[in-house]
Amino acid sequence: MLTLGIDIGSTTSKCILMEDGSRIIAKSLRIGGLGTEGPEEALQDLWNETSYTRDDVSRVIVTGYGRNKYEGADGEVSELTCHALGGRFIFPDLRTVIDIGGQDAKIITLNESGRMSNFVMNDKCAAGTGRFLDVMANILRMDIDDLDECASKSEKPASISSTCTVFAESEVISQLANGVSRPDLVAGICESVASRVSALARRAGVVPRVCMSGGVAKNSAVRHALEKNLETEISFDPMAQYFGAIGAALYGFRQLNK
Amino acid sequence: MVQDTLKKFHEAATSPRKQMEKYLAEGKKVVLTAPVYTPEELIHSMGFVPMGAWGADMELNRSKEYFPAFLCSIVQSILEMGIKGGYKGASAIVIPSLCDTLKTLGENWKYAVEDIKFIPMTYPQNRKPDYGIAFTKAGYERVMRDLEELGGKYDPAALSESIKIYNKHNEVMRKADEMLAAHPEITAAERSDIFKSAFFMTKEEHTALVEEFLAELDKQAAGAEKIGIVVSGILTDAPQLNEIFDEFGMHIVADDVAAQSRQYRTDAPEMDDPLQALAVKFANMDNCSVLYNVKKPRVQWIVDTAKARGAKGVVVVMTKFCDPEEFDYVMIKKACEKADLPLALVEVDRQMVHFEQVRTNLETFRDMLTF
Repeated sequence: MLTLGIDIGSTTSKCILMEDGSRIIAKSLRIGGLGTEGPEEALQDLWNETSYTRDDVSRVIVTGYGRNKYEGADGEVSELTCHALGGRFIFPDLRTVIDIGGQDAKIITLNESGRMSNFVMNDKCAAGTGRFLDVMANILRMDIDDLDECASKSEKPASISSTCTVFAESEVISQLANGVSRPDLVAGICESVASRVSALARRAGVVPRVCMSGGVAKNSAVRHALEKNLETEISFDPMAQYFGAIGAALYGFRQLNK
Repeated sequence: MVQDTLKKFHEAATSPRKQMEKYLAEGKKVVLTAPVYTPEELIHSMGFVPMGAWGADMELNRSKEYFPAFLCSIVQSILEMGIKGGYKGASAIVIPSLCDTLKTLGENWKYAVEDIKFIPMTYPQNRKPDYGIAFTKAGYERVMRDLEELGGKYDPAALSESIKIYNKHNEVMRKADEMLAAHPEITAAERSDIFKSAFFMTKEEHTALVEEFLAELDKQAAGAEKIGIVVSGILTDAPQLNEIFDEFGMHIVADDVAAQSRQYRTDAPEMDDPLQALAVKFANMDNCSVLYNVKKPRVQWIVDTAKARGAKGVVVVMTKFCDPEEFDYVMIKKACEKADLPLALVEVDRQMVHFEQVRTNLETFRDMLTF
């Protein structure tokens, strides 16, 4: 039995095709989320990669910020539920998910049996999200994917406000004017995101095993800063950005097998 | 028939201006009552129509001339409405001193809204000892003197009569709360209308309408069971919020909302001196974030009520920048965790247009309770 999970985020669209709720058959990701062609393109990529069509899929579940507007699914479910399911699929002993997406951050805790026990979401604020990194990369005229490597060269991370993206933007410009090196600035920016998110995580309660999901999970500088702040190891899987879509596909499978 | 009555509640809840125009056309004088508690019985007894002034969902602009942005939007919207003429025709507004933001509302109101008299009601922090009751009574006497300047006349017999009317209203509202817990088919939006309309109708009219509604509801078979929740907060009247509760099959089996049941928990006792009775009523009130009590019985009240009504979880609807509610939240969260009662926190304010975050939050909470 095939189920499809589609995660339409604020900046990317991800698809996961799953067999019997246990094996990932195909995945796809496109830049462009809610309000773009991203979801359809990601879906088309998935069909191109496999020999399957929509008719072969027993259930399609959509999640993410774009879930309410997407009409091609059999059902929708919140991204927190999906990140919990997807994270637990990859890490069976998972207890805490730190999801930093393009526009928000969420912390989800699970009990021993994997059931969601608590969650917190950030307020409408770009600080502590992928958008914060995006804005800072733009000021530094860097590709967001290069921040990670740049931060690794830092000797003394700069101090950057974790309160507000707009204020932090001014700070970065001031620090550039004062001659602070680019690696130190980038490391400071990553620590700023980690500082904001770790405060949120402590509100939910952090229980190992902890993992990160969402696009920012790929940034090891943020991950390591979070590990330092939370004093715990944070697991990473290359599929971290797909946890929402994996969870959606699993949700669809569970619905059919109730 | 139930639907006909619900329609009347909805009309009253969504058209306070029309209600005020009606009372003014009847030659009555309207006195606005700001959150959270005011001596409505006294205002009523002196010949005025008390009408709740809890602001409205709107963009705040003029109020920012007086307030910083990081201030309770309920209070800001009251001033915004006052400045923009939303309360035009009212004779006065009684603003209590129950939180720091309300204190600043009164002071700003004097300068910002000159055509509607500001009447302060200063409550004591320690309301239960005799000296606290005496302080409250002195505050009511001050309100009385201000109302006399507007043509009102104090008569102890009239106040005793008004207390009876208000106690009767409290009783029917408590009964409504109980009966609604057994009727999941009444939506969160409809429940909100029943409570909100009470602010804009005379208590005599509202009592009669609620009694009519309850009599009809009693004949109606209860609908299919939903997910029972207890809702806590200052104000939960945003239509989008209630739509979300309904969309996710949540049934409010009890509330700890300042603009709803908290208003009706305590009656004024029968005493020879009705003004003293009103002060004793305030002393007896409890389980509210703005009513000082170092033991915080409200926290356990929420847990006990949730258990007693069979709620699956508690939703705290936090009005942004509401200090008293934020202080209590930590204790509520811990108590719910200890009682193994799932809890969700959603933030709202009067300026919110998009409720997507609230939607995601409550959808996840629904999954947490059911999946």
